[in-house]
Amino acid sequence: MQVLRRVVILAAFLSAGSLLAQEYHPATTVRKLPNGLTVVVAEEHSAPTFGLCISYGIGSRLEPEGRSGFAHLFEHMMFEGTPTAPKGTFDRVIESGGGFNNGQTANDFTQYFESAPISALDAILWLEADRLKTLDFSPKNLENQRNVVEEEVRVNVLNQPYGLFYAFELPGKAFDKYPNAHNGYGEFKDLDAASIDDVRNFYEKYYVPANAVLAIVGDFSTDEVFAKVEKYFSGLPNKPAPVRPDVSEGMLDKERRSQESDSLARVPGLAIGYRAPSAETHDALVGAVAGEILHNGQASRLYQSLVKEKQVALSISGGLNFNNYTQFEYKGPTLLGSFVIYPPDKTEAQVLAAYDEVIAGLAKKAPSREELDRVVNKMRSDWYDQLEVPVSRAQTLSHFQLLEGSYERAYTIPDQLAKVTPEEVRAFAAKYLVSTNRAVINRIPKPGEHAASGGAQ
Amino acid sequence: MKVVLLGAALLFSAAAASAQKEQPLPKDLPPFGQEKPLQAPTVKESKLENGLTVWLVPQPAFPKVSFSIAVAGGYTADPKDLPGLSDLISATIDQGTKSRNARQIAEALQSAGGDLSANAGKEGFYITSSVLSSKSADGLSVLADVLQNAAFPDNEVALAKRNLASSLEAQEANPQFLASRAMAKVLYGDSPYSVISATKESLAAMAPANLRSEYARRFRPDRALVVVVGDFSADKMLATIKEKFDAWRSPEEAAISVPPPSDAGPEHAIFFISRADSVQTTLSLAAFGPKRTDSDYEAAVVANTIYGGSFGSRLTSNIREDKGYTYTPGSNFSASRVTGTIHTSADVRNAVTGPALNEIFYELNRLATTSPTEREMSQAKRFLIGIKAIQLQIHSAVASELSNLWIQHLPASEIGDYGKKISAVTAADVTSVGQKYFPAARVAVVAVGQENVVRGQLALFGLPIKPAP
Repeated sequence: MQVLRRVVILAAFLSAGSLLAQEYHPATTVRKLPNGLTVVVAEEHSAPTFGLCISYGIGSRLEPEGRSGFAHLFEHMMFEGTPTAPKGTFDRVIESGGGFNNGQTANDFTQYFESAPISALDAILWLEADRLKTLDFSPKNLENQRNVVEEEVRVNVLNQPYGLFYAFELPGKAFDKYPNAHNGYGEFKDLDAASIDDVRNFYEKYYVPANAVLAIVGDFSTDEVFAKVEKYFSGLPNKPAPVRPDVSEGMLDKERRSQESDSLARVPGLAIGYRAPSAETHDALVGAVAGEILHNGQASRLYQSLVKEKQVALSISGGLNFNNYTQFEYKGPTLLGSFVIYPPDKTEAQVLAAYDEVIAGLAKKAPSREELDRVVNKMRSDWYDQLEVPVSRAQTLSHFQLLEGSYERAYTIPDQLAKVTPEEVRAFAAKYLVSTNRAVINRIPKPGEHAASGGAQ
Repeated sequence: MKVVLLGAALLFSAAAASAQKEQPLPKDLPPFGQEKPLQAPTVKESKLENGLTVWLVPQPAFPKVSFSIAVAGGYTADPKDLPGLSDLISATIDQGTKSRNARQIAEALQSAGGDLSANAGKEGFYITSSVLSSKSADGLSVLADVLQNAAFPDNEVALAKRNLASSLEAQEANPQFLASRAMAKVLYGDSPYSVISATKESLAAMAPANLRSEYARRFRPDRALVVVVGDFSADKMLATIKEKFDAWRSPEEAAISVPPPSDAGPEHAIFFISRADSVQTTLSLAAFGPKRTDSDYEAAVVANTIYGGSFGSRLTSNIREDKGYTYTPGSNFSASRVTGTIHTSADVRNAVTGPALNEIFYELNRLATTSPTEREMSQAKRFLIGIKAIQLQIHSAVASELSNLWIQHLPASEIGDYGKKISAVTAADVTSVGQKYFPAARVAVVAVGQENVVRGQLALFGLPIKPAP
């Protein structure tokens, strides 16, 4: 252990010349209101606008058993109005203020965000506080949004080739516990069974100040914005935060293989997922780098081998937490995996053989310093994109504060990445990227539907 | 070398969310605060001796730099017998130069924190990359090499053709792609404007020699623009660009010119594409609108926002928030120097295909026959101006917007005039463009779905139902 630690320090020292420390770390302040609401504020004066994100500690992974898809269906209900601001008011006020809003449900959080010219800050804070007081629990609105959500599932899953099977089918093969294994978009039978009482109970349990982090980035003074937040949010009562269930699952001990047919796809696809650790661990940080060495763009090992050299794949994408959100914003076990589309004249075995050779190469020999630096540069650059505009920085700050109890990693990830060593990457691959720790789904066009003609010439 | 400074303020029009007739706002809702003027980016324009246009937007503090390089001529400039050649140019332009192979190009860009994206539009071809500001010179070297020395190696072209053939095959399963391709043919007939991708046949006929000659013809400094946005010193960046691009020369032959498409609008009919196993009908409706330089362009932008261009729009309120027919309603108005299209789309479950189309027709006709309310006008204009201000905080969005303006022969100053022009649009202007462009009788409809399930619903409209072209 001591030896390893020394190696880490030495490597970090050697790489310091090429990687600047703390390139981007603007002043940021966090406070907690007496009712438990955590608030993160950062000033950004480059334009007279602001971005805001309120994240709640509830996501698809944490929704009740037998109510698959409920966290997401509920997210839709948050836009359906309140007794004081009826349906339609929210969009109307925000658009009239020159802004936009949206919501998104991930595995470990549900986020609501807005961005607008600074003149709309008070109105938008008021609207966010208003929908944390109570909602218009109307059966008519529930029926309406159930329809909308089912259309969402149809347009993104049921009516599309591949139907995002790497996101919605693969976890069910790779995990055993309901929270990790079930389909977060939801089964129609569960969506159809959801009642207005479910909506009310869910709201009362999860949508409490102590289970939320509000982050605001924009053209204001920090004190001024804290005063506004207190004005609009401090009247909300303090209720206990829900207890997070134990979602932990260790590594798999046997490979899980399955096959699906697809009536819409013309070309076969393969989804591969290895169980990987929770984002706050050091292993996960290393895993993120390993995932990008394998998958990041045309310079990546899998692209070079499978698409260019062996020509057994048409495209490949993936990485750590590839089927949910970013490589760093989740909590609990996830998958490091790939989605491969391959030519009809190749077999699953040929694709996997080439894939396994690349994985084994990484597990056997540490990447060169040059390769690692190159990939880390790209990861830092991609990470900065997430901090560029106020609204996406607010999202990132609120996720880290919620998931890890501190926003700090939003700014320090570039630095942390720069300290990952080649040997750590190799050791990660040797430990986690083994066939006994993975699930594989081969998805093939339904026979007789279409003559697949796009193969090799 | 001429350097011009541009800068303008985007200003809001009316103040606050004023009294609304439809429904009063909550009494405790705080009013909007004091407006602050929104500064549009300052563009430093220059031109190299070889004719290359350079637009620089230094925005210090954030450690990244975005490049966007635009070349005149996109799908419409492709050789008539090789429609969609631009797709193969996109796939192979970074697959080798005189001095770097494909892998070296990808690795060099990755090392700078970027990658390369190459895309054809109708009238322009765009190469973009976003890199760490500390590595911007390295990134620019690779881009300059790709722009001037692409080699289109035979083996890389062969592989790209094979992969593109499979992508085309895969696209045949995508209902939105099928609808877009059919609509382009309905709108533009045999004109080059009807091309949205290569075809299986055209792809098979493409050879490395076609790529090399087209590249030599189209990629020329006198018809190209380099935009750089982000954390850099303008003087140093300009010097670097000069160094990297100075040897680039335009060919003797005249640049490509493409005849504009016909102004005759599409037939008011339903063009049907049968797709087995569809659980939704993909609806696409389009009519011609004003062109980018027409005087009613901005009025049509506002009208489209009220009709279907935002969450708060009439179409979304109706077919999503009231009736729950669809997750994805929306309309989009896009315009170039020679085209303008108002396009509506929605994916609806099979059983409500007829009712959804009926509501879309209703909303089009409502915009054509009635005037917008004051609240709708104020909301749409403030939304458009505010969103623009937010977008212009993103380096790559500024770069892409400037590239598009240049391809449309518009000045960089247009980016700063947007707010003023949108603010000036009146309810009467919107009523006028509503009458002129939005009547449902002007639109063509493309529907992709299960024929035996939805054809009966579509037949009720009394329109000709034809196979899609």
